[in-house]
Amino acid sequence: MADQDLDQLIARMDRARISRRGFLAASGLTGLSAFLAACGSSAASSRPSAVASAAPTAVPSVAPSAAAASVAPSGPVGGTGVTEGALFMNNWADYIDPGNIETFKKQYGVTEFTYDTYASNDELLTQLQGGKVGIWDVAAPTADLMPALIAGKFVRKIDWTKVPNAKYIGPNFKTQWWDPADEYQIAKDWGTTGIAVRTKIVKEPVNTWKAFFELAPKYSGKVVVVNSSVDVFAGALKSLGYSLNSVDPTELKAMRTLLLAFAPHVLALNSDTYEVPLANEEAVLGLTWTGGVADLRKDPKTADTAYIIPEDGTIYWVDTWVILEGAPHPEAAHAWLNFIHDPQIQAIETETNQYATANDEAKKYIPQATLDDTTIFVPDAILNSGKLETAKDLTANTQRADIWEEFSSKIGG
Amino acid sequence: MANATTPAPNRASSNPRFRSGLLTGLLILPAGLWYLILLVAPIAIVILFSFGRRGATGGYGGGFTLDNYGTVLRNPDPILTSLYLAVVGTMLCLLIGLPLAYYIATRAGSRKSLFLILLVIPFWTSFLIRTYAWLMILGPTGAAGFIGDLIGDQSFRILGTEPAVLIGLVYGYLPLMVFPLYVTLERMDRTLVEASKDLGAGRWATFRQITLPVAMPGLISGSILVFIPMMGEYVIPQILGYGQVFTMGNALVLRFLESRNWPAGSAQAVTLILVMLISVTGYLWYLNRGRRDRDVSVL
Repeated sequence: MADQDLDQLIARMDRARISRRGFLAASGLTGLSAFLAACGSSAASSRPSAVASAAPTAVPSVAPSAAAASVAPSGPVGGTGVTEGALFMNNWADYIDPGNIETFKKQYGVTEFTYDTYASNDELLTQLQGGKVGIWDVAAPTADLMPALIAGKFVRKIDWTKVPNAKYIGPNFKTQWWDPADEYQIAKDWGTTGIAVRTKIVKEPVNTWKAFFELAPKYSGKVVVVNSSVDVFAGALKSLGYSLNSVDPTELKAMRTLLLAFAPHVLALNSDTYEVPLANEEAVLGLTWTGGVADLRKDPKTADTAYIIPEDGTIYWVDTWVILEGAPHPEAAHAWLNFIHDPQIQAIETETNQYATANDEAKKYIPQATLDDTTIFVPDAILNSGKLETAKDLTANTQRADIWEEFSSKIGG
Repeated sequence: MANATTPAPNRASSNPRFRSGLLTGLLILPAGLWYLILLVAPIAIVILFSFGRRGATGGYGGGFTLDNYGTVLRNPDPILTSLYLAVVGTMLCLLIGLPLAYYIATRAGSRKSLFLILLVIPFWTSFLIRTYAWLMILGPTGAAGFIGDLIGDQSFRILGTEPAVLIGLVYGYLPLMVFPLYVTLERMDRTLVEASKDLGAGRWATFRQITLPVAMPGLISGSILVFIPMMGEYVIPQILGYGQVFTMGNALVLRFLESRNWPAGSAQAVTLILVMLISVTGYLWYLNRGRRDRDVSVL
């Protein structure tokens, strides 16, 4: 038990800052050390074994052949394959399958591959605004940063003739508000905010946000909530039938009433380790992200944990690959975007990162169990219902900020 | 330099008093500039910002409005929580720190240095790691679990409550209370205590009329050293408060970093400074008023 605590503590420190990317299912330090090992040495043998065994269909067809072949493994990968021999990436920590990096290096003759990290969108923006331009080729910000990146001229238009695999991207990730003409980005991974339930204790169905908020008084003090206004507001607004990007004063007032009534029943605002109270049954209901929940379901003691994507709709986030302005290796950057969206490569990414892919063709290479897992993929019925929304940057709205502060200061009554 | 002293520059520069004044001025200059650039100017900027509006993409956008202070007043909970934690925390530090400092200063004998070193040793480890350590000590597998077993309530928790934050605050700032107290008590003339006893005063009367007044300067500086950082503390409530204790520090982070609303954050910062200023001034006024009466009896 104490060991477990220590592990959690180390994992928490490793996560350092609040971000979704902190919760990579290929648990924190293990994944990181495996990645470092992969970078330091050479062979693909240092890939996390869990990944290799979890994606038996995809791995053999790529890894061994790619070592020898300078041509693409399956059809239309990578055009000419001529690159500058180097690629400098800036990304969330642990967000690429290490084996895929090795494959890319061999396939495109890239000898120098660097991987820097940022812990939040704001950090990336700050780095770029601080003059770190021309240092990296590619980055993977969350979509809501796109308008700021485009306005600041930090990203360059993608030459789509060099990225033929872009045709596999699903319609939900094209021509969206963050890049209406699809000029600057290609979707990477995406995921949702939903309801975590210990079904052993909570017997009632919790299929909607409405049900979640109605049940809170019954399980008072046993509800954990991520410390993120965007996500909590999304749940509250959706339960009332409004858009999660609402700035309508009346709608926000209704949300305020709902949240202030809800606050006394909340155990804690916790973004880093919400899975811990859920595991020890301190909390039985949660407004959470997907990270950590998958692990709970794998543990026999907490296998009753369910992750529900509410039928009244919810918020989803999308990370996007961009090529940065002043990229020192533009050919390699385009090659990377195309390579990573090769369906088989993308399937490996999904298994490693445990996040949904926007690449429809890749789903053919992903095991059915993964596709059915709601912590990773959203059921098509909900995805196509139009009730899923991404969050816009509404930090300028002071009414929202005020409500969040008031809610935060009333937690636990 | 001559231009600065207009009427009679020659006489002035040969005047020794002027020269010593000039020297003092030069000596004060670095510290003065330091305070001007790093204290006065930033506070002035924060005050200016607090009356402005948020820029379109965040930050400060100019203009004049009182709305930001309205926001602070509409939800006074964070400031009240901070004030409560700082006042109770300071009192606890005093209750623990005074006997400890007294013991080290007067009774520890040859082990004095050992005790002082023991007080300093925790500073060799990162403050953050020490606070995280409390997370485990107070957690379900630590004290909370133990007490829970004793009283037969498995759901007993310490983390996420104000007492948990107070424990962290007192632990973190206790040395800042002990050291000033130790210094004053160490220098105390012990014959005063003997004289008091010779004159028939009991232990309590001696403590109240001799030791306490002598310790007063240390007590005041210790209390202020402890109170002010406790008031603005962010890390301890964040970690041990477990997302349940929402202080002024949390509110500031929220406004500045999450909303990128510098004016609203500045208004909160100004309010925090004002509350601290009023508290400390009031405290000093109260103590000095009492002390003047007693000064007579000590001297």
